[in-house]
Amino acid sequence: MFIFRRRKQKKAGSKPRVNEIPSKALEEIEKNDLTGSIETTVQFMKEMLGDSDDFSVKHFRIFGRFHAVLFYFSNITDKDRIDNEILKPLMYMPEHLLQREMSKQELITVLVEETLFDSQTNRANKLDQLVNVILRGETVIVIEGITEAIHVGTRKIEKRSIKSPETEQAILGPRESYIESIATNIALIRARLPTPDLCVKMTEIGRLTKSMVSICYIKGIANEKVIKEVEKRLSEIDIDAVLDIGYLEQFIEDNPFSPFPQTQATERPDKTVANLAEGRVAILVDGSPFALLVPVVFNQFYQTFDDYSSRFLMGSFARLARMLALVFSLIFPSLYVSFISFNPELLPTEFAVAVAGGRAGVPYPAVIEVLIIEIAMEVLREATVRMPKQVGGALSIVGVLVVGEAAVNAGLASPITVVVIALTSIGSFATPAYVAAFALRMLRFPILFLAGIFGLYGVVIGVIFIFNHMLSLKSFGVPYMSPVSPGDSQGLKDVIIRSPLWWMPKRPAFLQPTNRDRLGEVKNKVLQHSKVGNDQREEVQNGGSKRGHNGSGSDNLN
Amino acid sequence: MSLNKHRWRQILLLLIIMSLLTGCWDSREIEKRATILAIGIDNAEHNAKNEEDEVNHLKGANQIPNERMIELTVQMAIPGRIPLGPQIGAGDKSPVLVIQAVGHTIEDALLNIQQEVATEIFLGHLRLIILNEEVARAGVGRFTDYLRRNPQIRRTASLVISKEKASEYMNIKPELERVPSLYLAEMVDSLVQLGKFPPTFIGMFWSILSSKGQEPYLPYFKIKGKANIQINGLAYFKGDKMVGKTKPLQIGGFMAGIGAEKGGYALFIKIPDLEQAVLVRAVERKTRVKASMKNGKPHILLKVRYECEIEEVESVNPSNIKAEDLQILEKNFSSEATRALETLIVETQEVKSDIFGFGEHFRAKLPNYWNNQVKTKENWQDIYQNLAYDVEIKTKIRRTGMKAK
Amino acid sequence: MEDPKEVTTVQAATTLISTIIGVGVLPLPLFAVRAGDTGAPFITLLGIGIAAFGLFVVTKLGLRHSDKTIITYSEDILGKWLGRFFSLFVIVFFSILTALAAREFGAVVITAVLLETPLEVTVIVMLLLAAISARNTMNTFAYIHNFYIPIILAPVLIIVALSLKNANFLYVRPFISSGLHDSFFGALTIAALFQGSFIMTLIIPSMKNPKSAMKAGWWAIFISGGLYLLLVLATVAIFGAEEIKRLYWPTLELARTTSLPGNILQRLDVIFISVWVIAVFTTIFASYFLTIHSVKQLFRLQDHKMLAYFMLPFIFILAMLPQNIVQLYDVIKIAGRAGLIVTILYPMLLYIIDAMKSKRRKKGESKQA
Repeated sequence: MFIFRRRKQKKAGSKPRVNEIPSKALEEIEKNDLTGSIETTVQFMKEMLGDSDDFSVKHFRIFGRFHAVLFYFSNITDKDRIDNEILKPLMYMPEHLLQREMSKQELITVLVEETLFDSQTNRANKLDQLVNVILRGETVIVIEGITEAIHVGTRKIEKRSIKSPETEQAILGPRESYIESIATNIALIRARLPTPDLCVKMTEIGRLTKSMVSICYIKGIANEKVIKEVEKRLSEIDIDAVLDIGYLEQFIEDNPFSPFPQTQATERPDKTVANLAEGRVAILVDGSPFALLVPVVFNQFYQTFDDYSSRFLMGSFARLARMLALVFSLIFPSLYVSFISFNPELLPTEFAVAVAGGRAGVPYPAVIEVLIIEIAMEVLREATVRMPKQVGGALSIVGVLVVGEAAVNAGLASPITVVVIALTSIGSFATPAYVAAFALRMLRFPILFLAGIFGLYGVVIGVIFIFNHMLSLKSFGVPYMSPVSPGDSQGLKDVIIRSPLWWMPKRPAFLQPTNRDRLGEVKNKVLQHSKVGNDQREEVQNGGSKRGHNGSGSDNLN
Repeated sequence: MSLNKHRWRQILLLLIIMSLLTGCWDSREIEKRATILAIGIDNAEHNAKNEEDEVNHLKGANQIPNERMIELTVQMAIPGRIPLGPQIGAGDKSPVLVIQAVGHTIEDALLNIQQEVATEIFLGHLRLIILNEEVARAGVGRFTDYLRRNPQIRRTASLVISKEKASEYMNIKPELERVPSLYLAEMVDSLVQLGKFPPTFIGMFWSILSSKGQEPYLPYFKIKGKANIQINGLAYFKGDKMVGKTKPLQIGGFMAGIGAEKGGYALFIKIPDLEQAVLVRAVERKTRVKASMKNGKPHILLKVRYECEIEEVESVNPSNIKAEDLQILEKNFSSEATRALETLIVETQEVKSDIFGFGEHFRAKLPNYWNNQVKTKENWQDIYQNLAYDVEIKTKIRRTGMKAK
Repeated sequence: MEDPKEVTTVQAATTLISTIIGVGVLPLPLFAVRAGDTGAPFITLLGIGIAAFGLFVVTKLGLRHSDKTIITYSEDILGKWLGRFFSLFVIVFFSILTALAAREFGAVVITAVLLETPLEVTVIVMLLLAAISARNTMNTFAYIHNFYIPIILAPVLIIVALSLKNANFLYVRPFISSGLHDSFFGALTIAALFQGSFIMTLIIPSMKNPKSAMKAGWWAIFISGGLYLLLVLATVAIFGAEEIKRLYWPTLELARTTSLPGNILQRLDVIFISVWVIAVFTTIFASYFLTIHSVKQLFRLQDHKMLAYFMLPFIFILAMLPQNIVQLYDVIKIAGRAGLIVTILYPMLLYIIDAMKSKRRKKGESKQA
């Protein structure tokens, strides 16, 4: 339950019982301004934060004269910076100030602008703001007699190093992935988009966690309505803890009851940037190594980054294989059941009779048999996820083979069933997006039931049902099945095969981007292979260097 | 209000799902079906009436049809005895089961058989129906109705006529294939592939039977030796009754008449000067049929173009075929083929069986004549008997095999 | 609360096509041959012509009132009460059409595919699917049709292509074999199969670019008519007119006779039926949708979602009324004729009255000026 609900029941204006719950007291505080007195401030801070043993209060004298106090949390601040950038310059009066006379009011300005060696200094005079800022790892300097305080950014928290992505492997393509710190993540995005059009907006969501959430988009490409909608939906979230981007996703998605995901989470900054360039909006949250991309259409779920890094034949072929695997994972078991139980005349005669032989020992109908093995597979899969890596990999392969073989020999299943289920599982692994594969895994079961009742007719009805549902789904205003339906000729080039990059000069229309040109008009001509060789060399020799077109001529490759 | 809507919808959904779950009505496991692969139909013995158990009707009931009773022999596949993979040691047990029953009609007999079999009969894999010649001569119309109404039966099954009793075919164990009926069915298919018979399947039989200007035809089988089956000719029908059969070689002539392209039959042609008989085989045929009225009477002109190859030269001395010899061969082949075709036409004219489908040509191209003079199938059968015709055959020998001369 | 007008021309055309191609595909050759013998393709062509004319009238009428559907603008043209009266006829007719289509579908399924399943279950499953899908908006409606079109068209074309190797073109001649009177009535029966095109009246107000509705209509008739013609040609060529007269569902038999080369799959008719289920679904979905939207507009209701469920029992009862398959086809024949009146004559009437009214108005205006 939300802690703050009880607040409404208290009468306004009652004394803050600070020794109870600090955050509530902070919200109800009457006198929020910093008094000039260090003592009251110290006492206030100790009441607020003093219960934790890592809260430090350091008294010292500025320039040997003024009494001041430092407030900080020792675990989240950088001790070196406090020592060198704050205490050292403050305790030691610099040369150029030796002769200056200053009043207390000027002192603050002098300190901020001329003394402190830090680039992240700010001034504040509200107590609650100061408390918040201390909690974020900054150091607050309160000076006797001055009603403003300085707070310096000294946050230091251990981070993971940037490694390769774990859930989205790419064979060709960059190997950086996000980490938990939002600052680093935004840095990774900014490094790839050194354009003023990239806009990063920050908000705070979550009463307890106060997580920093950032919305990134490219101005001039992303659609204004989508941006506004994203901001609106995020602002309506009121929850106590936001621990992961998944929490946000569940609040902002269009249809929480649909098995299909309407946002896409990605670990890769390069994929994020590619999507931003198409007109999508990325949402990042501090503490989560995933970025959320909206709006989303279904065919994104079987595209990988590899498709675009590789040549178009390779990419198209891989994509076709993936689509086939997707279809397999959805309807293969149901097709098997409907062929065996309802329409064996579809199979070639010899095969049909042989399959009948395989099934002769199994005591229950094909539907039940398939269901049992499917459920066993699902349980097995969950188990392998929990296992530590060394044991897990072996278990899955051995599990399928051995368990399947044993089941056949025990008469629990027929050999064909095991083959079918194995192919289905492999098919579902082939879908790159874990969430979408999950959706299809779940949907396999209702279709299986329908197949068990109606045969092939049931499979068709189930498929129609699923398609209709997908067709009526919208993600932030974009129909889920674009660009197939409603059709969009540019988008279609990317659905089944991956058209060569030079065939896709415009961005897909379903995102309704403001600016649709992807490729420039003149420059991107395919290499005219007949002219490669002597002709090209001639052009270079004649001084026709065409490299100057690329914007910045600087070679600042950092 | 919204809560009520939700509730209402949920209840409705629940009711519907429950009703659906009450049964998977059509589900029948594949191993629980008695798959019938082939059916053989013979005339039953005369005292069969007494043998019949009262399964479908009581004795003495007056709705029993009066036709001769038939004996049905079916070959059923036993699940599990026909393995897909390589066999470990030849199986001694037969992979099929043969059952017999008598009945007044096909359905009657099948129901009798069902009475004896635990699992439900499944006709979806039925590939072959064998009719004994006597049954065919009495008329096949009585079977086609059942076969048509039953949705399980595929139109690509094969119908053949047999010289011997059909039940003998069900009991043969051919060496080349584990399942006898599949062997038979494949034989019919490969006949078409090899050019030994024009395309035929039961659907086509029905189409031709229904059409006004053509009589149907079926392959005619004969058992040779212990377990070998030979195609012994073509059975031709008048209406639904079989009226005659051709010799095997005449099938080639027939195929020329209807324009079947794949050639397969060969003739021995003698070259007069040399002491050689050359085996010339037809490879391809192209036929053009022209229907016209000559002197108020219908006339058919058949133009056939053969393409042949020399397969074998039978001679004592080494063969030596020159270009002129080729021309002589061609001419002789043409005249032989013309003779064969004309003989066939005469044969069929005697029994008023227009298996070539000349009537269709008239119906299609001279509709006025057809609608005024002919109108029905019977009329055309009579007219066919006296149809005037001309046959022109041209042959070209294109290939002589690997040997240069 | 109006939905944004986003139906494109392509979507309008595909909606029309998938609505037209439905349960009538199966007995189509039988109707054509009954009327015209070997002249069946020609009769089909005539039927297509009549249907095209009907669609032309409907579209032209719709374009004159491009913001309203026939329910609402019939009130403008005929006056409030008369318009409503006729609209009621339209609604009743289309409910009957939905019910009959569902029933015919169920009949085929329980005869050819699922023999033991009760008829009620197959019918209600299809109607339920249509009802649940009918809760969507107009735009989603168009998306759904747009999406299923390739799945519907491709297998039929493939089956026709594969089966042509057994064709005997003698069966197709003579091209014209019945007199004018019979031909005309035969063509009417065929034209009755195109009644789904009436859905155009519902699409025009939601189109992005209503002016191109005419183009969409021509394309729709071209493609669906072409498909029907091909089917009739193929079945007549392969089976012969006489044989078809003995078959209830010649198209199904066509699929049965075909087999994939190499004998990978032997009874293609089961696959064909699966695809045909989708085609029937789009048709029933469209006519159900039309019924519901018309009711919504006639009675000025706010929302059609509850209505979708509400109409379900009525349509189900209507579907169960014919006692057996023979009766069913008799009713379908009558309904087909009635449908022609509703979908062609009624719009023609409206158009004429509308044209006269606007002429009078123009005269009145020019007099005043």
